Amino acid sequence: MAAHLNRARPNRMARVTDRRSYARRRLLAGTLGLSLLGGFGALRYGGRFTARAGDATKPGSAQPQVGLAADDNSAAVDDPATRRLTLKHAATHYNNAYEFGWDKTDPHRRSGKFKLEPWAVTFDGLCRRPGTFGVDDLMGMPFSHLEERIYDFRCVEAWSMVIPYNGRPLRDLIEAVEPMTSARYVAFTSVLRPDEMPGQASPFSSLDWPYVEALTIEEAVHPLTFATFGVYGDRSLPQNGMPLRITVPWKYGFKSAKFIVRITFTEQRPAATWHLETPSEYGWYSNVYPSISHPRWSQATERRIWGDGKIERIPSRPYNGYAEQVAHLYPGSKQQYR
Amino acid sequence: MKRALIHAALASPAVLLALGWQYGRLGVDPQKTLIWETGIWTINLLILVVLMPSAARWAHWPAVIGCRRAVGLWAFVYASTHFLFFVTFLLGWDIMRLGSEIVERPYVLVGFNAWLILLAMAVTSTRGWVRRLGRRWRRLHTLVYVALVLAVVHYGLMIRSDWGWPVAYASVVLLLVGLRVFRRGAPAPESAKRREMGLR
Repeated sequence: MAAHLNRARPNRMARVTDRRSYARRRLLAGTLGLSLLGGFGALRYGGRFTARAGDATKPGSAQPQVGLAADDNSAAVDDPATRRLTLKHAATHYNNAYEFGWDKTDPHRRSGKFKLEPWAVTFDGLCRRPGTFGVDDLMGMPFSHLEERIYDFRCVEAWSMVIPYNGRPLRDLIEAVEPMTSARYVAFTSVLRPDEMPGQASPFSSLDWPYVEALTIEEAVHPLTFATFGVYGDRSLPQNGMPLRITVPWKYGFKSAKFIVRITFTEQRPAATWHLETPSEYGWYSNVYPSISHPRWSQATERRIWGDGKIERIPSRPYNGYAEQVAHLYPGSKQQYR
Repeated sequence: MKRALIHAALASPAVLLALGWQYGRLGVDPQKTLIWETGIWTINLLILVVLMPSAARWAHWPAVIGCRRAVGLWAFVYASTHFLFFVTFLLGWDIMRLGSEIVERPYVLVGFNAWLILLAMAVTSTRGWVRRLGRRWRRLHTLVYVALVLAVVHYGLMIRSDWGWPVAYASVVLLLVGLRVFRRGAPAPESAKRREMGLR
């Protein structure tokens, strides 16, 4: 009997979990469970699950979308009546605007504080009539009278959308301030408002603020280069770069500066934010050349986002399809205009 | 029962992603969300795998070690899905291009090597292989640290400008690798104490 007890006791004791171990196990299991739940529940899918494809304007619609205003008088490159457009919901909920954050949903989620008005743009540098103008003066007409143009928007990340832009040729604004003949470049400076733009306040962003971009004067006065005051007939969209951006459809999207507050005419080539950050990846010209591969993304094809959940893989075209209009600006080897 | 629960937990991100895909809740670019999330979950599970032995020791809970294979295999499942989505969505099954992408783009090369390591570990995860490889099995499976480091480098190479998340991941991984190296260099605490007491 006694021998039996002696033999059994050590085994039984070994099987009992002491109090501290038990507490630690519960803590371990609890932490794991919570982090698993929290990990994908709140943190990682939070923004994405609210951004349902195509739920804003035309729910469930997979039909080809037709242009908003079939204005026959517009000088749009493509006929707005027949072009299929990316759904507005997609083009306004999937944006790159690092001023608001790195995620594509940040520009619409984190731009609530951004004040669209009042807005003024300063023209300076090598021009005869420098000055500061309100955005309404720059439009020169009621918003609804502005021209609508449908452009293919091509991101350097190898995705693209088809978007109707409301505005007027940038050339109109440039001619009004009379640049001098010595002006060879046009520099664009975006707004600096870390209080309203959380990405500018982020300690982890490697970009210098404010965002700067630039074009040659020939590019800036090209009839395709568009001073843009709205998209889809809507001017209240900071995520798309309003109140004023430019649209340069034959270049990767980052060349089209957003939230512009200053336009400067220079003789020397101005800096450009992404080119400054990683010159080996983002060329100063950054024309769309499918044959020139980017270190991260092959540019041979692009994923066309229509916004109905379907994504189409299509071959990319030189100058994003606008070669006929702009190729003459770039004589010689394409490598120098990458 | 316990086993089923563990597998259910490990599968839940995949299930959520599949449901989100089915019901159009993965945002404007579901392809990107799928690629991104399967990659992130590979890294999450690899971190878990590496943490498990220390956690088991700390909580005196040997059963944790028993789940390690399941977690490792699920990490391989997420990594393979990630790779599959990449080949489908970004390359459109252009196999010729896969070769040039691996050679040309550092992030593809690094990620592909991480996946090869996970593949080797998944293949040799059966009892038969453990027996056949003997001591070499252990050494082979220490490569999980290499795979984890490669995976985080792969993640870092994808970042355009915002370093918050990758820096957080890199710090955790550095800490884990550091601990492992430290543990290897120093004698096990148990034996050190015994030596001190002259009990050796």
